[in-house]
Amino acid sequence: LPGRSVSQVPVAEGKSVQQTVELLTRKLELLGAEKQGTFCVDCETYHTAASTISSQGQTGKLMYVMHNSEYPLSCFALFENGPCLIADANFDVLMVKLKGFFQNAKANKIESRGTRYQYCDFLVKVGTVTMGPSARGISVEVEYCPCVIANDCWNLLMEFMQSFMGNHTPGIPSVFSTKHDSIYSPADTMVQYMELFNKIRKQQQVPVAGIR
Amino acid sequence: LERLSNLVGKPSENHPLHNSGLLSLDPVQDKTPLYSQLLQAYKWSNKLQYHAGLASGLLNQQSLKRSANQMGVSAKRRPKAQPTTLVLPPQYVDDVISRIDRMFPEMSIQLSRPNGTSAMLLVTLGKVLKVIVVMRSLFIDRTIVKGYNENVYTEDGKLDIWSKSNYQVFQKVTDHATTALLHYQLPQMPDVVVRSFMTWLRSYIKLFQAPCQRCGKFLQEGLPPTWRDFRTLEAFHDTCRQ
Repeated sequence: LPGRSVSQVPVAEGKSVQQTVELLTRKLELLGAEKQGTFCVDCETYHTAASTISSQGQTGKLMYVMHNSEYPLSCFALFENGPCLIADANFDVLMVKLKGFFQNAKANKIESRGTRYQYCDFLVKVGTVTMGPSARGISVEVEYCPCVIANDCWNLLMEFMQSFMGNHTPGIPSVFSTKHDSIYSPADTMVQYMELFNKIRKQQQVPVAGIR
Repeated sequence: LERLSNLVGKPSENHPLHNSGLLSLDPVQDKTPLYSQLLQAYKWSNKLQYHAGLASGLLNQQSLKRSANQMGVSAKRRPKAQPTTLVLPPQYVDDVISRIDRMFPEMSIQLSRPNGTSAMLLVTLGKVLKVIVVMRSLFIDRTIVKGYNENVYTEDGKLDIWSKSNYQVFQKVTDHATTALLHYQLPQMPDVVVRSFMTWLRSYIKLFQAPCQRCGKFLQEGLPPTWRDFRTLEAFHDTCRQ
């Protein structure tokens, strides 16, 4: 599976989220990218229920259940620093049955929706990150499809991102450094999205700084 | 009635089109446009013959013969000893290929003969790409380059030697590989040719990591440097090479 980078683009000074997204997409279209439908990535948070926390004072763990429209038949479940499970879409139903052990923090549901663009062998997804009714930020996912080893194509990805993101080009994602020469997988993308969503959740309503 | 029948003219015996001309008499042109299709086919094949004649005249000016066979020479002048390079035992071809397989650790070559005596190789270069090479004895006939994650087999498990890659970068590399197999030519020593071709192919291990030697950048029109110089094996963009 292809090498990808997921990053956040800060909202430009004095402009709204919508306008910044339009700026980005216009730059992409000028480069020659073509629109290819839409995408959506969402994330729900579950707390471990109080009754399962042992008496030794173990703090409850947070579990994230995520979906990605790129993989419509799958569901991703991950802990913050822990393993990522790729499951069937019926996993959501299972979570309902596990109500006693994991409680859904409905207010924390966060998602990113937007358009997909294709440029040569690159796939770019520019999305507006919303939590509830309010738009909290912008996510940009860039994927270079022919390359399966993440570390190999980082410089290539960065050069491409600079051509339309300019100064907002992010640094190398942390997942790349742990992967070394192993093949990139969808779980790595979801980890990047989870980190991004966490970052946005901690930010204030109108983010000004913070490039990952 | 007899007088009238004598007045009806005989069908012209000098009809130049013979039976096909009779097709033109079919009144139902909409449902069976046979005659117009026949005319078009005839014109097309005439044009094809004409263009092929022109092309062969032009191509004969450049001697691009990769094998030592002398095809154009008449039977009288053909040397009595058959040229040996086209008729090599399959075991010899297998040996050469397995020796080349051991030459480079990051390159692995699998040989199979699903369609008769002609060998088909599946070359896997690291985790970057896969190449399908179709051979004719020890001469390389065609190559197709595909990505590491692309499927190289057809639905019934055989090696797929026809479909192109889905990615533009590998379609470009396929074109370059075809240029390479026309470039490396030594009619009397085909195993040296195969070795040179594989050495050239191996330089693609850094397809996504090497910048262009001329402009210094990684991307040009969305493509990494896909050209590898035949002598120095340096990486260039297709538009940057001399």
